[in-house]
Amino acid sequence: MNDTSNAQEAVLELGQITKEFPGVVALDRVDLAIRRNELVGLVGENGAGKSVLMKIMIGLIQPDGGTIKLHGAPITLKNPSDAIRNGIGMVFQEGSLVPNLSVTENLFLCHEADFRKLGILSLRSMRAAARELLTQLKLHIDVDLPVAEITTAERQMVEIARLLWLSKLYGQENPVLILDEPTTVLADSERETLFEILHELKDRASIVFISHRIQEVLENCDRIVVLKDGKNVTEMAASESRLLKIEQLMVGHSFSVDRFHRDGEWRQAEKEILRVENLGKAEHFQPLDFTVREGEIVSLIGLVGSGKEAVCRCIAGLEKADTGGTFLDGRKLPGGSPSAAVRAGIGHIPIDRRSEGLALMMSVAENVNLLVLNRLKAAGFLSPAREKKNAHHWVAECQIKTPSIGTLCANLSGGNQQKTVISKWLSSRVRLLILDHPTRGVDVGAKDEIYKLIRKLAREGIGMLIMCDTLEEDIGLANRLLVMKDGRLVKEIASSPEQKPTPQDIIGLIV
Amino acid sequence: MAEAKQETKRRMTRKLRIPPVYVTVALLVVVGLAFYLGNPNFLSFYNLNTIISFSAILLMVALGQMCTILVGGIDLSVGGLVSFISVAFILLIKPIGYIAYPVCILAGMFAGYINGLILTRIKIPSFIATLGTGGILTSLAYLVSPRPVNLSPDNYHVVDTVVNGSLLKVSNVLYIGLAVLILYFVILRFTSTGRNIFYIGSNIKMSWMSGINIMKTRNIAFMLSGLGAALVGITMSSIRYGGDPVVGTAYVLNSIAAVVVGGTALTGGTGGVINTIFGSVFMSMLDNGMNVVGIDQYLQQAILGVMVIIGVTLTFDRTKTPIVK
Repeated sequence: MNDTSNAQEAVLELGQITKEFPGVVALDRVDLAIRRNELVGLVGENGAGKSVLMKIMIGLIQPDGGTIKLHGAPITLKNPSDAIRNGIGMVFQEGSLVPNLSVTENLFLCHEADFRKLGILSLRSMRAAARELLTQLKLHIDVDLPVAEITTAERQMVEIARLLWLSKLYGQENPVLILDEPTTVLADSERETLFEILHELKDRASIVFISHRIQEVLENCDRIVVLKDGKNVTEMAASESRLLKIEQLMVGHSFSVDRFHRDGEWRQAEKEILRVENLGKAEHFQPLDFTVREGEIVSLIGLVGSGKEAVCRCIAGLEKADTGGTFLDGRKLPGGSPSAAVRAGIGHIPIDRRSEGLALMMSVAENVNLLVLNRLKAAGFLSPAREKKNAHHWVAECQIKTPSIGTLCANLSGGNQQKTVISKWLSSRVRLLILDHPTRGVDVGAKDEIYKLIRKLAREGIGMLIMCDTLEEDIGLANRLLVMKDGRLVKEIASSPEQKPTPQDIIGLIV
Repeated sequence: MAEAKQETKRRMTRKLRIPPVYVTVALLVVVGLAFYLGNPNFLSFYNLNTIISFSAILLMVALGQMCTILVGGIDLSVGGLVSFISVAFILLIKPIGYIAYPVCILAGMFAGYINGLILTRIKIPSFIATLGTGGILTSLAYLVSPRPVNLSPDNYHVVDTVVNGSLLKVSNVLYIGLAVLILYFVILRFTSTGRNIFYIGSNIKMSWMSGINIMKTRNIAFMLSGLGAALVGITMSSIRYGGDPVVGTAYVLNSIAAVVVGGTALTGGTGGVINTIFGSVFMSMLDNGMNVVGIDQYLQQAILGVMVIIGVTLTFDRTKTPIVK
């Protein structure tokens, strides 16, 4: 790890950090050193473990193993306020300011006591201090405005200012600032300003910069650390690396379609299951058309915010589209009603299975049987025997590994929870299944089983619309790729078993 | 080292997970034994009979309450409803006789339906909605009859043949309690509506996304609560041969306590009829035992409060709810 001669002292050093969540290893002995006055870029695909690593750095999550050293001394960070006391702070993607409080109030939240004069808060000195702080960051705004009324870029600056002020308050001269994808929400000009300021800040702080846009990481960071599947892949000086090389590292060296159980006998079916016509929703996506055929796996590709999630939500009836409609087997769906969509035969496997896919405190059997209770009745009442039979059937069919069908779903691993969600929809005989990141938070072995399950569904004629964690997965699983960017359907790419595009072909279309 | 520590910690928590029902039963035995030591008459046949009768009455309203808690809500209007039905039932016997029974039962379910509608249509949390309707019902009870009202002896037969009768030397109150118990058990275990109550209480977002009719299920849960409260109002008035506009007050907290002490989580989704049986017996036993042992009247409420907190501490799995409201 310490390949360079350590000309610069490491401010914060993470060694062999390991973090395990039920059924999945999020971080596997990850090292990360942050040196004085340095801008480190941290890149990796979704699910590579970047966020978990950041949360460990600010004490939001406790690691299962490994050491954290601050200025060479081991330290335990109990919580975020403990972290900021030690000069480590983070600007969250979604922002952490209180919208209805003013800029000044947000800056000094919980530390107003420092501005007390004779026991009374001096608003005037607070304002003056706020202006001074923001001027340092070249931000000239009315400090009395509520945060809800300033732009996202300005909010980020206010958050950075707050972190700088807090670390100064606690006597930290070289704080570590972590920025979690700050540029995804910014316009080009705002991005430039942000980088200008970050470069200036390097004189008195170390910055960890997370981004999906590798180009800007290359241009602005001193060093780049690449994470993949919760492991360190490599780290290098930004000057030594090229875009293509990093992309390859992120995606993995050996892109192989075989991992996804390519189905050699797959043929494009004629019968279409889903037809989307002129479907549009203001502020989310422009009107678009596409179809999904029987047994076909269609993947929606795009960055977060490209509108692909909203498209799926509209089809599943969770949101109402503004224009157009969806047709299942030729019949128009009312839209905006999940129960109508479910009755018509649309299943939805949500990204967050714990909060949207399962009743965690109920048994596997109860979760599997949820949609088919009416079929499990005898003489008008639920029949325990039929319930058991149906649950056993699907547990075996989907290879759910559980001690018994009465086990609570909360006690299953991520992969088996996901299989439970899938089997719930299967038993209801769906026609179209929307899979929102089906392998999110699932370990490698279970991923493989889920791929097999998806293939099996396709053979049974179920049409699928999927969004995956990695491009590799999208390409490997899908028969057709729909690329979305900024709310538009920009391209449709065939991805037949014989001829798969490579991730490199596609990444350029997305970003 | 740290890993080993975490592993043992994990194992410990796993080991400690005992089904709440057993804890309630254990609590029941311990507290019962304490009362017995205080006064051997506590376990006399006569006294046990009293406890069981009171348990049966509390159980009816607690089972209804449990349905609303299982679906993720709460019903604070049961007190007002018991009071209102109590006086309305007595007043109705005079003009309509036996028909007062179905009328009162339907009225109770209607009140529950209104609670459900306020929750599902106007979208006001059930805590507030039922607090409001509970107030309205209490006022209604007073408006109908400001003072306790007695049943005229000419009409005693109406209550004597139904509630106050007995079969095989067992009071009809017990049979009514048993019938209600079976009814709620069947609904919760063998109908899709019952199952949907659990799904919604366990994860309402998932239920919505899976197409479960949340509005209907929640309305039914509150109607079941209204049904239980109405039956208690009828039973109380029958036993006393008279209605009383304050008779229901104690049932709000006692029904919730019985449900929660039994081990049904206030967060919804877990629990069941069996839990509530033991919870009701426990609450009734406490009430009775404190009198038998001769604990000072003024102290009883405090002890009841302490026991409820102890009971919930032992039965409620707090590890799964980091934030308790």
